[in-house]
Amino acid sequence: MSVTTASLSEARLRRQRTRRRISSTKLMLSVLAYGIAVLFILPYLEMAVAALRPASQLLAPNLLPSSLDFHNFTSIWSTGFGGNLVTSLLIAGGATVLVLAVAIPAAFYSARHRFRGRGVFLVLVLATQMFQPASMLVGIQREFLNFNVGSSTLELILINAGFNLAFAVWILNAYFASIPVELEEAAMLDGCSRLSALGRITLPLAAPGIVTALIFTFIAAWNEFMVALTFTLGQSSGRQPLTVAVNNYIGQYSIDWGHLFAGALIATVPVIILFALIEGRVVGGLTAGSVK
Amino acid sequence: MEAALTAAAAAIAVGGCGSSSSGGNGPVTLKLVAADYGTGPKNTSQKYWQSIATAFHRANPKITVKVTTINWNNFDNQVQTMVQNHQFPDITEGDYFSQYAQQGLLYPASQVLSNTGNLLPVFKSQGSYNNTQYGMPFTTSTRTLFYNKKLFAQAHISGPPTTWAQVQADAAKIKALGKIGFGLPLGPEEAQAEALLWFLGDGGGYMKGSNWTINSPQNAAALTFLKGMVNAGDTEPNPATKNRTTLWEQFAAGKIGMINGSPALLPIIKSGGSLGPKDWGSVPIAGKTGALNSTLGVCDNVAAFKQNGHQAAIKKFLDFAYQDKYQLQFVKEYQLLPATTSASNTLKSSPTYGSFFKALPKSVQYPSAPAWAQVKTQIQNQLGTALSGNPSKVLSSIQQVAQKS
Amino acid sequence: MTAVATTPKRRLAGVKQALRPLPWIGPAVALIVAIVLWPVVVMVKTSFTNIASDGFSTGGAGWKNYHSLLQEPALGGVVVRTLLWVALVVGVTMVIALALAQLFNTRFPGRRIARSALIAPWAASVMVTALVFRWALDPNSGAINVVLHAFGIVHQMGSHQADWLGSPGTAMICMMGVAVFVSLPFSTYALLAGLQGIPDEVHEAARVDGAGRWRSYLSVTLPLLRPSLLVATLINIINVFNSFPIIWEMTRGGPGYSTSTSTTMMFILKQSWVGESAALSVANFVLVVIIALAFLRVTTKDGGLG
Repeated sequence: MSVTTASLSEARLRRQRTRRRISSTKLMLSVLAYGIAVLFILPYLEMAVAALRPASQLLAPNLLPSSLDFHNFTSIWSTGFGGNLVTSLLIAGGATVLVLAVAIPAAFYSARHRFRGRGVFLVLVLATQMFQPASMLVGIQREFLNFNVGSSTLELILINAGFNLAFAVWILNAYFASIPVELEEAAMLDGCSRLSALGRITLPLAAPGIVTALIFTFIAAWNEFMVALTFTLGQSSGRQPLTVAVNNYIGQYSIDWGHLFAGALIATVPVIILFALIEGRVVGGLTAGSVK
Repeated sequence: MEAALTAAAAAIAVGGCGSSSSGGNGPVTLKLVAADYGTGPKNTSQKYWQSIATAFHRANPKITVKVTTINWNNFDNQVQTMVQNHQFPDITEGDYFSQYAQQGLLYPASQVLSNTGNLLPVFKSQGSYNNTQYGMPFTTSTRTLFYNKKLFAQAHISGPPTTWAQVQADAAKIKALGKIGFGLPLGPEEAQAEALLWFLGDGGGYMKGSNWTINSPQNAAALTFLKGMVNAGDTEPNPATKNRTTLWEQFAAGKIGMINGSPALLPIIKSGGSLGPKDWGSVPIAGKTGALNSTLGVCDNVAAFKQNGHQAAIKKFLDFAYQDKYQLQFVKEYQLLPATTSASNTLKSSPTYGSFFKALPKSVQYPSAPAWAQVKTQIQNQLGTALSGNPSKVLSSIQQVAQKS
Repeated sequence: MTAVATTPKRRLAGVKQALRPLPWIGPAVALIVAIVLWPVVVMVKTSFTNIASDGFSTGGAGWKNYHSLLQEPALGGVVVRTLLWVALVVGVTMVIALALAQLFNTRFPGRRIARSALIAPWAASVMVTALVFRWALDPNSGAINVVLHAFGIVHQMGSHQADWLGSPGTAMICMMGVAVFVSLPFSTYALLAGLQGIPDEVHEAARVDGAGRWRSYLSVTLPLLRPSLLVATLINIINVFNSFPIIWEMTRGGPGYSTSTSTTMMFILKQSWVGESAALSVANFVLVVIIALAFLRVTTKDGGLG
């Protein structure tokens, strides 16, 4: 009797110990993960600190100034920064919508059908991935002079879409290929048309791929600088996207670090928020669609 | 009536071609592209030019001036792109390229400005091609040696240096205080200016007559002297990678003993907050054996492009914009110097600008040869390597580029 | 007569067949050709043109631009530096990203927030990140130097030692660090997505077989991760090769060309020698294609898109 009690409690103890060991490994891992997360944010915290430094302590060799000055964050709005924010949103949003609208059908079709020219098409996509718009500025600009589009925002939407299309087609192609065609066929047997099978079955399953393409395009367009600089030349400053507006704080004789970093921070935060919101969906989509 | 005309002019501006009827009496839109001397929207040059354009339009309702300002650091590149794409502006203000005169793209100054005699004569040859003036100075500046009086007092130095030997000795004393002795911006931003100030101290320079003299022994000697200062630690570390903006900021923060500067350093000192008006001084640049009596004078130019055929309208506008009050407004906004004799005369006795003016008439300019644009980028990019390598070898390679271009 | 009638009909059917993909892939092809390929043609043409420094073309140049590019004394060093830059940045990025993906794949409270933090360098423009690091590496007041000084690693602020971006060697290391930093978010997420696609049963099966954790990772996880790993590496190779803002904002590729890669060299040349710069653009493209193909050749048997 007493023996059994002893061995029972011993077993319980052992189980408890294992549980504690597991949770302590888990604890260590999460501490490590948090530490790394902080490391990734640190440069941007330093940016915030720089933007909050009073002018007299801008170059002080300390980690934190003795007082904070929010002036840069308030005064930046009186300079039309809101307009820049809207322009950036239009450009990045427009380019993302255009990329998805064009890439989804192309990626789907090339994943499902072996047609003549498919190889050429995929090589073309791979090739465009290797070009960056900055290195072809003069050519792009000459082209747009010939086809007067009229609005620099529209031009930037087209250019950003063009240069980010490759990645979207590529990633979506891979995702569509990984979704069994039988699922669509089953839906079509149930009376769905081909298009509604695509819309009801395939697209939701490809959600992780679509979200990845979306984020990639949005961020690339949001951060594009060289082309935007050239194409918004001669526009009122409100028509310039954030990257160009931030760059204007680098002057000939001095750099307005405070406003530069304040503006950069304002430009970065919306993207992080957008991603934080979507991140959950990526995970959800991945869990739901782990058919691969 | 005026409103209707404005609307008509605006309609044409929106129509966008810019090159509307040239002569005649129809409304004209002029495209003005100017470098932005400001740091961000609060003091952008857009405001300055727009105020002139608005006042001008009020006086000349048929002419609308569309103002575009471009960040200084992108100006050269963007004007070049516009010209390459045949989107010619009517007027530019900023860097001036004699190649455009060479290509026959520009109006001579005499055709677009009534009183060219009022432009400071010392800059005439720099804006000229084949003895005709095309570039019209709009704003100017000269270089002087700035020194931190507080640090000089702490290091027991009696006065500012006039010779190279004194510069080095003083820099060593300031270095002993744990500060930077001499701020030497030989990085890519403006190496061509800083280097010339030292070349001049030894009787060197970029050109003699129509010959490039970049690889002259004087220039090599100047660089060798600088190399010695750098190796002794009398300058900031690695001057080949340091730019004016950074070093001026540090001078303003009281961390540098001496630095060559222009009036544009004044507002930076003011906003830095570390140096009071009595804590710094500005004197002629030190030379090998004595202070220079001719320093580097820099001007930014107005140029008028022919392609849109707006000669009469351009002339009206430039006559308007070159009024003394606008020259002085520019001086006040950016602490640069005026470019006309009449505006300069009103400032000669100013305690702030007096010393810069004294230096202006005898100043030395950058070469006016069309190849200068290419030589300049080569100097900006390569000259700093002389400090860690062989000065005469580096100078020879730049000389080669100059002769090839 | 009937034969004559059917041939066009059949041809028509063939044309119809060939045109069927058009509504699906047509818009994508149109966008790529108009926005990307046309400027490439201009670029290649420019590389065979004489262009004055003010941008006016003065006729054909034959191979002259390529010839003068090959005579640039700095070219050899730049090419070697470019290859090292790509290999080291991408290699280090992928190794760290593998570890990070594994770590952030384990469940722990607040994982979502921690993961969101990971993307900060991706969300911020590279230009801004490079500027912040330049700011933090400032020899006189930069935060990194302040910390290193407090730990006694940097002996004196403002000294030669604190000027990390001043000498080419340390500057290259710092810039590679920044390049790794900005490449990590995308790489980690690509691998994370790959990890999530591996069903749990696979791990369970491995565990039942008695494989240790490390062995199960090497023999089960890594092979299944291969597709994501390949795609992420390839994309990184292309992006890191073309990376411009980091070097431009931190050292301008100088002094001289001593911290330049071929991308920054191309930009420096463009200021004065447009034709030669275009020639380098073309050479750059050829180089990146060779690197990408070599990578695909080594890692996949068919060399296709997989």
